Amino acid sequence: MEQKKKKTSSAKTLQTAREAGNFGKRILASARLAAEEGKPVAWSMVDWWLGGTIAKAIGIELCYPENYGAFCAAVRKAEPFLDYAENDGVPNTTCGYARNGIGYTRRLKENNFIIPEDAPGGGMPKPLFLLGCGAVCDARYKWFQSMGRYMDVPVWTLEFPQTGVAEFFMPGYKEENIKFMVRELRSFVEFLEKLTGRKMDWDNLSERLDTTFKTHELAHKVDLLRKSVPSPAVNTDFWAIMIPHLYLPDDKEALAFYQRVYEEVKYKVDNKIGAIPNEKYRMAFAELPPWHTLGIFDEFAAKHGIAFAIESWNYHAPSPLPESEREGVNDPLELIARYSFHKFNEYTPTAQLNCMDPTIFTAPYLKWVEDYRIDGLFCHPLLSCRPATYTLMHLRNLLMEKCKVPSVVVEGDIVDLRVFNEEEAHVKIEAFIETMDHYREIRKKEGFEW
Amino acid sequence: MNELKGLARAAQIYLDPQQRARELKAEGKKIAGYLCCYPPVEIMTALGYVPIRILGDMNEPITEADAYLPTVMCAFYRSILDVAMKGRYDFLDAFIGAHACDGAERVSYIWRSYLKSPCSFYLDVPHSNHAAAIDFFKVQLNYLKDELEKTSGCNFSQEALREAVKLYNKQRSLVRSLYKLNRQDPPLVSGSEMLQVMVSIMCIPAEEGNSLLEEVIEEVSNRSAGPGQKKGRILIWGSLIDNIAMTKLIEDCGLNIVIDDTAIGTRSFWVDVDETSDPFEGLAVRYLDKIVCPRTFRDTKGTRSEDLDNRFKYLKIMAKEWNVNGVYFNIIRNCDIHGYEIPEVRDYFEDIGIPVLVIEQDYSTTALEPLRTRFQAFAENIG
Repeated sequence: MEQKKKKTSSAKTLQTAREAGNFGKRILASARLAAEEGKPVAWSMVDWWLGGTIAKAIGIELCYPENYGAFCAAVRKAEPFLDYAENDGVPNTTCGYARNGIGYTRRLKENNFIIPEDAPGGGMPKPLFLLGCGAVCDARYKWFQSMGRYMDVPVWTLEFPQTGVAEFFMPGYKEENIKFMVRELRSFVEFLEKLTGRKMDWDNLSERLDTTFKTHELAHKVDLLRKSVPSPAVNTDFWAIMIPHLYLPDDKEALAFYQRVYEEVKYKVDNKIGAIPNEKYRMAFAELPPWHTLGIFDEFAAKHGIAFAIESWNYHAPSPLPESEREGVNDPLELIARYSFHKFNEYTPTAQLNCMDPTIFTAPYLKWVEDYRIDGLFCHPLLSCRPATYTLMHLRNLLMEKCKVPSVVVEGDIVDLRVFNEEEAHVKIEAFIETMDHYREIRKKEGFEW
Repeated sequence: MNELKGLARAAQIYLDPQQRARELKAEGKKIAGYLCCYPPVEIMTALGYVPIRILGDMNEPITEADAYLPTVMCAFYRSILDVAMKGRYDFLDAFIGAHACDGAERVSYIWRSYLKSPCSFYLDVPHSNHAAAIDFFKVQLNYLKDELEKTSGCNFSQEALREAVKLYNKQRSLVRSLYKLNRQDPPLVSGSEMLQVMVSIMCIPAEEGNSLLEEVIEEVSNRSAGPGQKKGRILIWGSLIDNIAMTKLIEDCGLNIVIDDTAIGTRSFWVDVDETSDPFEGLAVRYLDKIVCPRTFRDTKGTRSEDLDNRFKYLKIMAKEWNVNGVYFNIIRNCDIHGYEIPEVRDYFEDIGIPVLVIEQDYSTTALEPLRTRFQAFAENIG
């Protein structure tokens, strides 16, 4: 009998999540069309809305090698690019997205900058410049600098200050950070104007910002709805719907899309419709997913009733910028700086309360486990992404010590399928069920609310 | 009174780099431990602290850190946290973490979460040398000063800071003089001796370090037998080395280590602080802009070739002045900032006819022996 081919992608539980992939395809198609029409195209890192919005306001089309890496992994076509980067001397321990991007760029160069016909998703066209970003990890600018090796184009790095918890509360410290970010954004505008010979369209930028705030507010409201029991949406839904709010929040279509996401999730909450049929356990996922094997979460749901109620802090839209921060701010660059800084520091009071560092990748989960009534944390240490991995052991310790929430560790990678062991993941989850049951009892005895 | 002098004294300090700091602590001095080469030692010194560089230990198996850090991270920083959790730095009065790279940043955070000292500061080091970044870094240095001042027991003075700048500039000048002795063939100082001196001066007060350097320079300038001529004269580029097991292995394979561009080597000493009217200005420029490490992004310049010269020309100059005929890239596994740079620096050297050996190593003395044949082959190749 012919064996049925195993599905590696997730079916997703939200209808809107099933449609979200179109945004990713649209980003690539728009970039290729712009290139064909002789319009400027740049490759950008996810920069938490710092530079991308500005570049688009001056008329530059963006595509995102990081997202392209996830896409190549999801269709299981990343490995040849990984090999090609490693073959040029890039260590196989560097970021999977980066090696995918470097391998792709090397092939693009060797094809005289004509996109190879077999490029997954139609490929990315040669950019006018590369937009790196200093937030979160060194790879975000070192990777882009190293892609410059294959393309004689300038690289711009957006500064993104990273603060310690105690320092955040020092007098004047936050405002110094904002001042620095605004000056850096002004330099970026000058760079763009010089490179393109265009003037910044400030009205366009303000309009884009306005749309971004609206899109993100809806995205945030969806996050809040997900606190409901049973969970109306799960991690695989989020990893699909995040594409528009991460890459296109300033786009009217993204705003309309999020309105529909919100309505769909709200309907499920109002009618107590769970994302999975028989929710028994609620888990959180940290931090970046195995894009090549998202279907495994459907299997965990079907087999054990596990709903991944919250996940991947860094991909979520922040809560809206407090009015006190917006008041009297007329410079869109300052508004951008304040908003991006807010994204990275809004959980700093939680970190301070728990006497720990850092805020990023760690403190949000301390709040989430309670808000989302989490039974266990799925830690996914990545063999090629250290910044999303460095704090996972620390996070496990904190969740156990402060909240009596256990965790399970399943090693893998965002892109590199070769280092993920599906069977091992199943065995570990199987064993983890008992652990979650045990700590439910412990939390109950110790007076926790969930 | 310690009777050992020069290289013998350096070898003694190297064996237990924290011993002198513990002695000084017992005498009532305050000790500040710092990560990487970005926290300015001048500020700590001006406030009466004895600054010491926090090191890992290639001889110490990582056991404690496993509970706090994943295995996929930089082994050097894992080792640092490991020895710290085992109490090696429990005498510190101040801990200065730094956003030097991802590893340093995250270990700074985790260190502070578990190991408490009277003073603790996380120094955010911007990613670029932009004008705004230098100004921001200057502000950061002022915050560092304020925080140290709270626990130092003395008041900050610009004059004390200016004196500290002079003191460390003298140290840098002495280090450069010492390295210059290796321009000749055969070199006068072995790579292992040099490393012992570098580790030593980073772990004792600057005045003592300067005396030690003067003794070493006098001693090796007059020596009749140094490391001797080997098959190749190499430059080491990349992640730091803080254990002579590594340098001895390289030298045993027939290679003279004549110069390096690493963080426990020239990178920490090669350039001075300008004596500006506001000393924080000179410090910010020196530490953020003048220290050349791949962790600091420099804006793209002109053509690709001009850009590469802007980033790496100093290496070409080093290679020429120290008459190098091979380069060893020392990459501690999972060191991203050097990892991404490998193809470009490799091609840059090979374009000027200098062969390169790239090794990713695990920062463990027990994992060194398999590397021997690679160094031997490289020595044969360039000899």
